Amino acid sequence: MYHLRLIGSFAKISAQNEMAYRANFWISLLNSALNLVTGILGVWVLFEQIETLNGWDLPATLAILGVYLSVGALRGLFISPSLDTLTGMDGEVWTGKFDFTLLKPVDVQFQASFRHWHPLALIDLALGLGVLYLAVSQMGSSFTAGSLLSFAVALAIAMTLLYAILLVFAGLVFWSPGFLFTWVFDGIFQMARYPVGIYPTWLQWLLTWLVPIGIITTVPAEAFTGNLNLSMLVGSGLFALVAVICASLVFRLGVRRYASASS
Amino acid sequence: MNPRGGWALIKRTWASWMQHRSFFFLLAFGWMIPPLIYLFVWSTAAGGETVGGLTRGEFVAYYLILILVNQLTYAQTNWTVGDLIRDGSMNVWLLRPMSPIYNALSTEIAGKVVYMLFTAPVALVLAIFLRPEATFSLGNTLLFIPSLLFAWALRFFWGYWLALLAYWTTRAQAFLSLQDSLIFLLGGQVAPMVLLPGSMAWIARLLPFRYMVGFPVEVLMGILPSDELVFGLIAQAGWMVMAMALYLFLWCIGTRRYEAVGG
Amino acid sequence: MVEKQIEVRKLTKTFKVPVRAEGFAASLKSLVQRKYQEVEAVREISFDIEAGEVVGFIGPNGAGKTTSLKILSGLLHPSSGDVRVLGFKPWEREPAYLSQISMVLGNKSQLLWDIPPMDTFRVLAEIYRVPEKEFNLILDELIDLLDMKALLTKPVRNMSLGERMKCELVAGLLYRPRVMFLDEPTLGLDVSMQGRLRRFLTDYNQRSGVTMMLTSHYMADVTALCPRVILIHRGELLYDGELAGLASKLAPFKLVRLALEVDSPKPELPPEAEIVEQENGRLTLRVARAEAPKLTAHLLNTLPVADLSVEDPPIEAVIDQIYQDGEVSA
Repeated sequence: MYHLRLIGSFAKISAQNEMAYRANFWISLLNSALNLVTGILGVWVLFEQIETLNGWDLPATLAILGVYLSVGALRGLFISPSLDTLTGMDGEVWTGKFDFTLLKPVDVQFQASFRHWHPLALIDLALGLGVLYLAVSQMGSSFTAGSLLSFAVALAIAMTLLYAILLVFAGLVFWSPGFLFTWVFDGIFQMARYPVGIYPTWLQWLLTWLVPIGIITTVPAEAFTGNLNLSMLVGSGLFALVAVICASLVFRLGVRRYASASS
Repeated sequence: MNPRGGWALIKRTWASWMQHRSFFFLLAFGWMIPPLIYLFVWSTAAGGETVGGLTRGEFVAYYLILILVNQLTYAQTNWTVGDLIRDGSMNVWLLRPMSPIYNALSTEIAGKVVYMLFTAPVALVLAIFLRPEATFSLGNTLLFIPSLLFAWALRFFWGYWLALLAYWTTRAQAFLSLQDSLIFLLGGQVAPMVLLPGSMAWIARLLPFRYMVGFPVEVLMGILPSDELVFGLIAQAGWMVMAMALYLFLWCIGTRRYEAVGG
Repeated sequence: MVEKQIEVRKLTKTFKVPVRAEGFAASLKSLVQRKYQEVEAVREISFDIEAGEVVGFIGPNGAGKTTSLKILSGLLHPSSGDVRVLGFKPWEREPAYLSQISMVLGNKSQLLWDIPPMDTFRVLAEIYRVPEKEFNLILDELIDLLDMKALLTKPVRNMSLGERMKCELVAGLLYRPRVMFLDEPTLGLDVSMQGRLRRFLTDYNQRSGVTMMLTSHYMADVTALCPRVILIHRGELLYDGELAGLASKLAPFKLVRLALEVDSPKPELPPEAEIVEQENGRLTLRVARAEAPKLTAHLLNTLPVADLSVEDPPIEAVIDQIYQDGEVSA
């Protein structure tokens, strides 16, 4: 309850902070639109030339794009704004402002994960879910309570996994405050726009095990194609759970290091 | 003209960039991913056959060259022009006995060397794995060089005049984001121009964006009929002159306005 | 009996600093095998502080002041020794401990830049679980003491340094901490703002009984605020006691001021007296502490003295000498 209240007030103050600049709203809207248009046109151009891509047709590929956009939006809603304040040359770890975070009587990982919100990301979320809705309607399959529920569960697993990965990168900042680990990930994460199945086998392997972006976008989309079975859901759920525990350990180790090394 | 000062600037910029090479290698890595995704998408789509007249190996060749051309023509200095104008550092450059364009040019040249140190070897390794197929005729190779130079100049000056809008609006970077999206869609990244669906190809052929990245690649690959080649070269040169004129015009009225306001 | 709130025993903190060599080959080698140098920031420091005390923590740059404050506030782990604040080990950073302490850093801000401070205060009240009613009460009191009603609705980025520091203090006191650490709170402020902040801190200490520990480079802060000072230098504790006693304990000399009768000839002084100032008949002499009584007697016997006083040197001079020489031979 206490933590939920905290999240509420963090979100409120972030919204206020963002409203201080009116232009932010328009820029954000423009970027959302560009993101959407380039994504959809990219898929459209491809399927003007071909019927299917390794078994993926236009609606199924659009569904992946919808999940990709939604996942990106949820990430941009609070995970990235919060974790990104730690990293980089003007980040809290480098400037030492992290001291204030450590001094608060609240768990450090909780603060680092939920402190900053970017409410305009809700626009992206709406657009992403809109693309997904259109794609699924095109597939001819209808929304059932079962598919919606398994989609929600798969999306929650995907976000947990994405959070775990980003938390590890944030934790690595305590070892090397200047290095932007997230950049590497962001680059690779763009590959999740398309089904993992279209990539060469070696890359598929990398994208499933090393950087599990396949689980992040492909699995939730499969909730609507009917390819999602319970064992896959449970398997990826366990995987996400282990990942988030490991990530939390790395992060805490980093915080300890900060406390024993900084001057 | 002040070639000596310009050369000194290039050397200094290059030396300082090599100090932070890991940062620039990361940037180069990030820029490489979107074309790489479409390399995989199209080569999977082609499989053992052809799509739009191109084979799998030709798609690989097209996109590997595009990765190099994209980084050689990407004018990332344009992103900092707005900051220079806003925080008043442009004053410092206006005081030096050479045009501030030298500063941007030196960063450009130094940057290309640093990026290529990363991108060229990576592209070579990818070429070994992905087996591109292409034959470069002497004529096409000779035409490629001016078309690459024109592409760079066009992209540089086009971005620069957009960036100079920072004299009038604080959010000029939004125009650069828009330019990047248009290059992504129409510049040959999402698909080679010949594969774009009817109306999109027609727009791409007329607007300047294709001539910033995709066109030199098409020239080198020899996929254009000779009348299209001539049309392309003329269009490219025309847009380049237009971009330079816009740059000069905005530069003159912009600095006058800057001096009047007092920075 | 007064409660001991801070107990520090043989506190030591060493940092491992990587030794970086020049050149590419050396950087490659350092990837595999890093050389470290151990730097002792704080060495075997011990002291106790009682509830309600205001203690000045002084010493030159790099003496270990900030390191010690960071250990006390739980930001750093000590290398050895024991520390208890309010009965807690600070570095375990228990929420119960952190809600009772506060740290104000003169060179860092915890306020959000683009919005008025009131919004940041509300979030802090949420974090520290201050009930709405109490929050209003505390806030009213602080606003009153700091005279800052007008600041509450002003975006932080439009504030002066002094105004911002007022807000930082409110942020640090909103939840009525029992122990407060202040690191250079007056840094960069103009003289009158410094004075106002000092008065506020003294006032607040007397009203609330909060224990305060502060570091400052401005001796005026310390003389105005702190009845007790702890002086550290190169990580070692040199002095712990009343500010007034610092000079007599650490300065090896006294100042003898004397005024001679008008028209007296140029006096002959014994060699152990060094003239510091000389101005129409008034002399200031510096004498070794042990020599002072003998010399005074000698001066009174041999010269036409109109007035004579023996003083400790001003605190600034003593501190300055310690900071410069590193030590003062007793």
